[in-house]
Amino acid sequence: MAVEIEKMGKPAVAIVSNRFVEPAKTKARKSGMPNARLVFVPHPVSGKTPDQHRAYVAGKDPATGKPLMEEIIDGLSKPLSDDDKKTGFVETKPAPRLIGPETPDNLQRLFMARGWTDYLPIALPTEQKVKDMLRGTSRAPDEWVGKMAGGEFEPWQFTVEQVAVNAVMAGAKPDYFPVILAIAAAGIPSLYDSPHSLVRAVVVNGPVREEIGMNSEIGAMGPFSQANATIGRAWTLISRNLANAGIAGETYTGSQGNSLNFNNIVIAENEARSPWAPLSVQKGFKAGESVVSIFCGLGIHAGQGGKRGSAAKPAFDRQIASILETFTSYFGALVVCDPLAAKDLKAQGYDTKEKLSEWLCKTSTLTAADYREQSFFELLGTSKAPAKPASKAPPAQRVARFASPQDINIVVTGGETLAVFQAGNLKYLTSIAVDKWR
Amino acid sequence: MTAAYAQEGKISVLNPKGNPPPIPLAPMAPRPESLEGKTVYFVDIKYEGGGSLLKMIMEWFSKNTPKANLVFREKAGMYDEQDTTLWAEIKSKGDAVVLAVGH
Repeated sequence: MAVEIEKMGKPAVAIVSNRFVEPAKTKARKSGMPNARLVFVPHPVSGKTPDQHRAYVAGKDPATGKPLMEEIIDGLSKPLSDDDKKTGFVETKPAPRLIGPETPDNLQRLFMARGWTDYLPIALPTEQKVKDMLRGTSRAPDEWVGKMAGGEFEPWQFTVEQVAVNAVMAGAKPDYFPVILAIAAAGIPSLYDSPHSLVRAVVVNGPVREEIGMNSEIGAMGPFSQANATIGRAWTLISRNLANAGIAGETYTGSQGNSLNFNNIVIAENEARSPWAPLSVQKGFKAGESVVSIFCGLGIHAGQGGKRGSAAKPAFDRQIASILETFTSYFGALVVCDPLAAKDLKAQGYDTKEKLSEWLCKTSTLTAADYREQSFFELLGTSKAPAKPASKAPPAQRVARFASPQDINIVVTGGETLAVFQAGNLKYLTSIAVDKWR
Repeated sequence: MTAAYAQEGKISVLNPKGNPPPIPLAPMAPRPESLEGKTVYFVDIKYEGGGSLLKMIMEWFSKNTPKANLVFREKAGMYDEQDTTLWAEIKSKGDAVVLAVGH
């Protein structure tokens, strides 16, 4: 942000806490201003009293050991060096297309050491395996698929062949490749630079699910299908390698990380057993089209489930609503119902997903004071928010948790061994047609 | 040669890493000789605690650079979102900016 101000012709100094020295320098470098004036204060800044902040100001920059205020004044008024005035481009020499010859064991070690994996063994992308993967699409190997960035960094552009290399590494079959290409084309990395350790989900609809053997039955969201597992894993490898995302301490600052980032939340909607329209149809695609829909957010929680509702004492809608009470407004909700739970909800009168979303939106409220305390409150009412919230209400007034029913999406998956559901604090981002990547 | 490598159990594989785009370098803004008589904006990006820290920095400025005109502003939106209205105000009225806290 200091770079944008400098570009307007105004000197700027950015104060950063010293837990973010490398990410801040990386950001400056990638913004074309490697010498942007960064001054570091002790971490954390949040949760400190004004007196503690005053002590920071009187102290030294922990990264340089120089007095903090001297650095700020120098940063704003000390004459620039020749380096500071440089123009032109920073170009990186293209990486070689082939690596080796080397033994498979040494290549596994090399890939891991260079941070090209998810720290699990990979399938080595030999020319033959990549060629086989490319048979999964009619697209040319050198065709551009899209661009992706792991945060507020410069986006990287990548080809069909580069996606194929990462799909091979993930253990995917060529049949899965159009789904992987559609996910890649969305330009949304599975690893994103946020201290909140965000996660991603993808919902797959349409005939492609059955054609490639995706699991939407027993264990649908678990490690019980090569297609589900490797499509999700490929997304993470693509993000690391083709968008430079998820480089810890540089382009990734998730404080705790999240095990869901290994292969993400992959959901093949069980359209055959669902009493409702598929998500893709809700998003404007025709029934029969194969589509991937992408979500981002904080994670997913299992509902208690198991207690079937009845007309006299409906249960699932209230159970879902109780989980939504823990959700932050910004990310909305992705409710994942087992077909049994979905059918019960339909029997309760929710004959469409939209009706359930409307009821959940109406039911889920919190006080305006609590609303304003949410971590992501600042995002609401901005261009990144789905709608402007009721943010100026009196503190005790109850306001809607979600801006609109469209913030609550519902999908159906599972094997009907129990009427259960899960709910993710996950926000819908986009949907991409798979068929054009076949 | 290929046969020799095969004998040794060696293989070649494709590089999975993409290529970063060229990054255009941007020159930094010229600096004033001093901040006396200048308008310095203090912009709170709204990371928790940033506003309080900035106010302590402003307190130092009030004591040590009394001839500088100090302006505090809270940026609209989340940490990483541009505030074009504020940037326009700074472009028209400001001479220098201190931002906190970002990364």
